[in-house]
Amino acid sequence: MIGFVGLSHLGIIYSVATAAQGLDVLAYDPNAALCEELSQGRFPILEPGLSATFSAHRNRLTFTANAKDLNRCTVVFVSLDVATDAQNQSDLGPLERLIGEFLGNLGPGAAIVLLSQVPPGFTRALGHRLAPRFQAAQVGLFYQVETLVFGNAVERALHPERFIVGCESPADPLPAAYQQWLAAFPCPVLPMRYESAELAKIAINLFLVSSVTTTNTLAELSEELGAEWTEIAPALRLDRRIGPHAYLAPGLGLAGGNLERDLVTFRRLADECGSDAGVVAAWMANSAYRRDWVLRSLHKAVFAEQPQARLAIWGLAYKAHTHSTKNSPALALIDALPHLEKRVYDPQVRLPSLPPKLTQADSALDACAGAHALAILTPWPEFREVDLSEVRRRMAGHVVVDPFGVRDPAECATRGFHSFRLGSPAPGGLKGS
Amino acid sequence: MIHHTEGSTTRPGRIVILGGSGFVGRWLLESLRPLQIETVPLSSTQLDLRAPEAVVFLHQQLGSGDALVFCSALTPDKGRDSAALMNNLRMGYHVAAALEKSACRHVVYISSDAVYEDSPNPVREDTPPAPSSLYALMHLTREKMLAAALSKANIPLLVLRPCAIYGPGDTHNSYGPNRFLRSARREGRIVLFGQGEEKRHHLFIRDFVAVIVECLSRGSHGIGTVAGAEAVTFADLAGTICRLVQPVPRVESLPRQGGSITHRHFDLTAYLKAFPHLPLTPLEQGLRRTLAEMTS
Repeated sequence: MIGFVGLSHLGIIYSVATAAQGLDVLAYDPNAALCEELSQGRFPILEPGLSATFSAHRNRLTFTANAKDLNRCTVVFVSLDVATDAQNQSDLGPLERLIGEFLGNLGPGAAIVLLSQVPPGFTRALGHRLAPRFQAAQVGLFYQVETLVFGNAVERALHPERFIVGCESPADPLPAAYQQWLAAFPCPVLPMRYESAELAKIAINLFLVSSVTTTNTLAELSEELGAEWTEIAPALRLDRRIGPHAYLAPGLGLAGGNLERDLVTFRRLADECGSDAGVVAAWMANSAYRRDWVLRSLHKAVFAEQPQARLAIWGLAYKAHTHSTKNSPALALIDALPHLEKRVYDPQVRLPSLPPKLTQADSALDACAGAHALAILTPWPEFREVDLSEVRRRMAGHVVVDPFGVRDPAECATRGFHSFRLGSPAPGGLKGS
Repeated sequence: MIHHTEGSTTRPGRIVILGGSGFVGRWLLESLRPLQIETVPLSSTQLDLRAPEAVVFLHQQLGSGDALVFCSALTPDKGRDSAALMNNLRMGYHVAAALEKSACRHVVYISSDAVYEDSPNPVREDTPPAPSSLYALMHLTREKMLAAALSKANIPLLVLRPCAIYGPGDTHNSYGPNRFLRSARREGRIVLFGQGEEKRHHLFIRDFVAVIVECLSRGSHGIGTVAGAEAVTFADLAGTICRLVQPVPRVESLPRQGGSITHRHFDLTAYLKAFPHLPLTPLEQGLRRTLAEMTS
């Protein structure tokens, strides 16, 4: 029996993915109401494929709020997502409390595997602090890097590229039950010391951020020079040193919280160690700058002439296929335009409270009523299907700021819109940055 | 970053303006006049800020609840040397000393974008200052002097760092819109250094004073850069003026002074967030209005 402790996004996804590999799963969370909802297949998160995978492997999943049930597990994954605050700093308190609470319920010889997003040094410090309890229970402590991506988490959990396992003694064999779990997924396993694994997690994210930032910087220059980034990106993908899966799609800075958390953690560690983290500071500044690309574009294209324009916004989630709004560019835009009337629509996100002058519409078309400009801030697939002629008919203006290129610029032009896209020259000589 | 103390526009109290007869001071007075706000403009003839007596005089002028706008300085055309620096610092020292004990409620200091290094593009509020001239060093030092004095008195300080300002009534003759407009009209020519490749923002005076009035109204504090809507080359600026002035002036070129070509761009995002309802005047429109007022 494989146990999961902490049923936030990480725990839910890995529980279901483990069941999908034919292993029996006990998923524990102290929140009994949450366990009841999960056992009914009602998830507090949105992930493509989650419901179908759950339904197909429901018989191997047991949800419980009783920690004592964990004594049946040979491997227990600690899978509580570490929340971050407004400054993207981790709050490790709930994780530490959870570990302290369930530890006494493990059977002898069990392996504890931390999946949660912990900073370098955390696992060894935890091992030292709780050494008497670990020794009494005869449990081993490991850290495993998670690399899930919101909106694509089930796919990545089912088909990982590799497992990175942090160990106290990398030369020692892993416990048999843990090896069995790892073997259920056909991918390489890389054991290493705790600190290496913890830093590997950050290293992966920092490489991604460097690609994202480079892409965004080049995309901005494309807009200014009259180049077209969508023509350049395929050439880069064919370069073996860059690769077909490189992050070459321009975006509105970093969002979602995970990458931002690792940047903050890295800067803190570099400060402590006296390492030069100037490039990380530059990435963070660039991210903040890019987040406001839509605001700058709207000012140039609309507000300079029409300071009291009405605005339609499609999308609140920070990306498609998730309901997360952590560091969402849409929310940043709404905050920056408190004086304007705004109508917003998102197929999955309902804001718990609405600030003045913001209305949440029931459909994409409804959001467009009387708007002078439309901003498409989440590339939800359904936005590709909305009838642009009807959008044009309902709007009072003709500007579409579409950073991700959800709609074809040629079609927009045919329908009488001026559209602005990241990495593309702005129409009519207007620059979109 | 600029922070507004009050959530919405409220009527300012009495406003004391140091540098009331200068380019910014005069336009500020004009902008405040229709609002019927009591103003006390003080020029260098009424108050010599270099003199130690200025401390007591200014302290007596500043009543409880007053706002002070400090836009007085010896500009580079009046001297770029150490003597000018020390005179400017003396002025700042005396103003800071007067404010330290005052019951003034708000201070706005008009600094300059010169405090930033020459080409850290794009310039934004968190760009580290790195003055490359005594004039820039003076502004940065004054900012620090005022911040130290006002923190003791718990008075909010707003520092505005504008780029080069243009508009009717500019008494300076620095390289840019005003000099180009004057020479185009009077001499029928515009003189560029090199081919005028450098890009700069140019801020219309009416936009800048609108920002000051807004900040006075809202008790704003912090640091803000204010710049024109976009960076253009001096060659493009000259070209625009050639379209506006009759007869069409000649554009001439002199050898470039100094080293390489440098550009300066501002990231206006913070401005757009702080003043979403104050759109910046497009350069051509600002030049037209300047020319019209010059002609009239």
